[in-house]
Amino acid sequence: MGAVTGTVFDIKQLAVFDGPGIRTTVFLKGCPLRCAWCHNPEGLTAQKQLMVSVGSCLQCGECKRACPGGDSCTACGSCILACPLHLRKICGVDYTDEALAEKLLRNRDILEKNGGGITFSGGEPTMQPLFLLAVLRRLRGIHRAIETCGYCESEMFKAILSELDYVLMDIKLADSVAHKKWTGKDNGLILQNLEILKESGIPFTVRIPVIPGVNDSDRNFEDTAGLLAGTRSLEKVELLPYHRTAGAKYSMVGREYRPAFPKDREPYINTGIFERYGISAGTI
Amino acid sequence: MTPKIKNMLDYYVVRKEHHKFRQAPKDAYRYAGIYAEKGLGDLERSVCRLRDVLSEETPVVMPGESIAFLRTVVTLPEIFTEEEFSAISKEHYIHEQGKVCNISPDYRKLLTTGTEEKKKQILERMHDFEAAGEREKAACGKAMYDTLCIMEDFADRYRKEAETAGNAEAAELLRRVPRERPQSFQEALQFLRIIHYCLWCSFQYHNTLGRFDQYMYPFFEEDIRAGKLSKEEALELLEEFFICLNKDSDLYTGMQQGDNGQSMVLGGMNPDGTESYNELSDLCMQASLELKLIDPKINLRVNKKTPLSLYVRGTELTKEGLGFPQYSNDDIVIEALKNWGYEEKDAYGYAVAACWEFIIPGCGMDIPNLNGLSFPACVMEAVDKLEEMENFEALMEDVRRVIFVQAKALREGVHDIYMEPAPFMSVLMDGCVENGTDISMGNKYNNFGFHGTGIATAVDSLAAVRKYVFEEKTITKTELLEALRTNFEGRERMANMLRYEGPKMGNDDDETDEIAVRLLGWFADSMEGHVNERGGGYRAGTGSAMYYIWQSKDMPATPDGRKAGEEFAANYSPSLFTRLEGPFSIIRSFAKPDLARVANGGPLTIELTDSMFRNAESTEKTAQFVKTFIDLGGHQMQINAVNREKLLDAKKHPEKYKNLIVRVWGWSGYFVELDECYQDHIIKRMELAC
Repeated sequence: MGAVTGTVFDIKQLAVFDGPGIRTTVFLKGCPLRCAWCHNPEGLTAQKQLMVSVGSCLQCGECKRACPGGDSCTACGSCILACPLHLRKICGVDYTDEALAEKLLRNRDILEKNGGGITFSGGEPTMQPLFLLAVLRRLRGIHRAIETCGYCESEMFKAILSELDYVLMDIKLADSVAHKKWTGKDNGLILQNLEILKESGIPFTVRIPVIPGVNDSDRNFEDTAGLLAGTRSLEKVELLPYHRTAGAKYSMVGREYRPAFPKDREPYINTGIFERYGISAGTI
Repeated sequence: MTPKIKNMLDYYVVRKEHHKFRQAPKDAYRYAGIYAEKGLGDLERSVCRLRDVLSEETPVVMPGESIAFLRTVVTLPEIFTEEEFSAISKEHYIHEQGKVCNISPDYRKLLTTGTEEKKKQILERMHDFEAAGEREKAACGKAMYDTLCIMEDFADRYRKEAETAGNAEAAELLRRVPRERPQSFQEALQFLRIIHYCLWCSFQYHNTLGRFDQYMYPFFEEDIRAGKLSKEEALELLEEFFICLNKDSDLYTGMQQGDNGQSMVLGGMNPDGTESYNELSDLCMQASLELKLIDPKINLRVNKKTPLSLYVRGTELTKEGLGFPQYSNDDIVIEALKNWGYEEKDAYGYAVAACWEFIIPGCGMDIPNLNGLSFPACVMEAVDKLEEMENFEALMEDVRRVIFVQAKALREGVHDIYMEPAPFMSVLMDGCVENGTDISMGNKYNNFGFHGTGIATAVDSLAAVRKYVFEEKTITKTELLEALRTNFEGRERMANMLRYEGPKMGNDDDETDEIAVRLLGWFADSMEGHVNERGGGYRAGTGSAMYYIWQSKDMPATPDGRKAGEEFAANYSPSLFTRLEGPFSIIRSFAKPDLARVANGGPLTIELTDSMFRNAESTEKTAQFVKTFIDLGGHQMQINAVNREKLLDAKKHPEKYKNLIVRVWGWSGYFVELDECYQDHIIKRMELAC
């Protein structure tokens, strides 16, 4: 098989919340959803892009002088070193499957000794399915996980599952209409893939980013618990309370963060409902 | 935590109400002139100082306290007049303030005998010396004897005050302490408190607590076994003792508030391979965890076989943001000490001095912090001649040469060391009583240690020259030298490239790390085989102490893109301005050099965001990470759990953050009490937190 190339926007060593043991998490660029609370806006588009820390900009104009293009940025990187304060960077690095696997395997001993492995996150890792599959295959023998929103063509989802030891899957909203409203997509495909995941027997965690006024209701928790009850391979449900710093990176990618939910209110948390369904649950 | 301890914390630490007992600052030379007039020798003066300070002291006994002694004298007196001392300084090398400091006393020497027995031993030897006509030795004996009498008298005054104050418990304790061997854990703690107090009043400083869990264990164990003390009671006593260490610590000598050297070492491998971490060690961890105080500063000795559970215990402390425990790796340190000629039993008994310098309790009169080699200065001296260098290896060869020249200068800079005699400290050091000697003249081990500062700046600079000048040839030699001379003025692009895109130590890049292996190896070579004026050798290290500020202040721009005057990283750590691949790569890079050859002391200092400690599971994983560094062969590590926003806010609103603790270079202190340059350096470190 020839080399497959993918775009990665971050690699985080010593990830302690992304699956068993201590891990390396790889963030693949591109996401099919547009969640109103997304805290990684640089992971949304599949293409490489320029990020600028605008807050400290001196308006010296060096970047403009260095720019070879016209009006639209092609993320060529010419302005990066021109900025005297180094406020610019290109988000996204291209790797071949082989190069990425080689880089990740450098720390194989550390990961394995500590019951860990490698997790692919994003963005949405299944948005680059062939690249993901190619890298996963090269990592056989080491513990492999993904952190997914579950929005992926089901045959491909099955193929990816066949290369995994663990899955962290988001169920952001049980209600399909609300799901479409807040993430831009209906959750039919996601729930279908949840069934596939349950049947696969692969151990998994379900994560719910708990957003004030969006999904922080007993009703949503109850419905989600109903979807999961009785699944032996489900290890736990983790509630991730919304964090006010979620909007921090929007200005860096030239976006505005103006979510339509009450972002300054503490989200309502209830793990008890899950416990009642026999599901171990906690917050992180 | 019991209500009693909570009240004490509130009284001594939060409200500092005991400061009301303090006397006004006095002239530090109030006795020196008198001593000079009387024509007293330095040994006599040292005894007089202790007597005079303690006579100025007003005993203060609080109702309900179980361990007494509080400092009320603020200014410790000097024994020489300024003129005398400046004359001495002309003749001699003076290390810091010319006082015995930064060593680890063997408290057992008094704890297991009491002063009466010890005085008898001293008297016997004094008679022998007198009979043999060895007057100097007899004088040393007499000085030691006198200090013990002074301590006894002072304890008597405290006993009387305890009676007056109606604290029967303290009065009862002081009926036996310090004269007899302690009969209980509480008596031993009270005794230790008095000894420690008198060390400070003798103007010894950086008085470490050493292997507290080992020398105090017999007293603890006896009480527990006899059913005289429950673990809860022991913990309460221990916590009260820990609070005692914070009562007067702002009066102690140090570079900054918090730099007081009250380090405590827990656990460690025994010579037979067994582990010495015991129930008392664990109670110390618990006390520290509950109290969250900067003193004592906890050090954990670990090795390849140390169970994860101990690292987890340590990480729970780290999580509190105390900046300790600091870990040291027995597998590396013991080997290093043996290679330097320390006897096996001594090597296994190592503790740390004030920060992280390894030292042997009771017999180490090493001076491990004499000075520091600036790696970047060595590199820059060679880089200055870059135009003559045909290839990178020629440059490296010149760096090696400069390191040897600088090392020689460091060694030769130290001659005819003079230290004030320290008769009270001498009682606690091997052979002083038996041989009629003073510890200021040396002991079994008299090695000199030098820090090695700015390793990452040096390595990154050389790696950048190799890449851009010799390999890619994208920067010419002339251009680079010109850029460095002008502090990259008008060459921001070049500076950015070097700074952010150049090769860096900490990225687990073998080619770059190999430079570090060589530099540290040469530093070790340059010190090896030389004998100092006290018969000891030289130890090379990876610490920086405050040299990361001192030696960088006037250093021009460097080829790693560092601007003129920018600080180096503290200790053995990656450079400050580059985001690296991550913690795995950092520990791999920093474990590559042969650390057993540069083990004078100096930890890899790493910042982790406090969110890593969010729950028990992630805390355990962080502990696994620490264990991984040790298993990879790292020698020493300290970790800060940090929250940058909190520090920025604390700079703006110090009044809101009085108890915010940070690790500085080898000790933990209150952030708001630090000088601004240290505050800013810490904030910069945190920007790169993993």
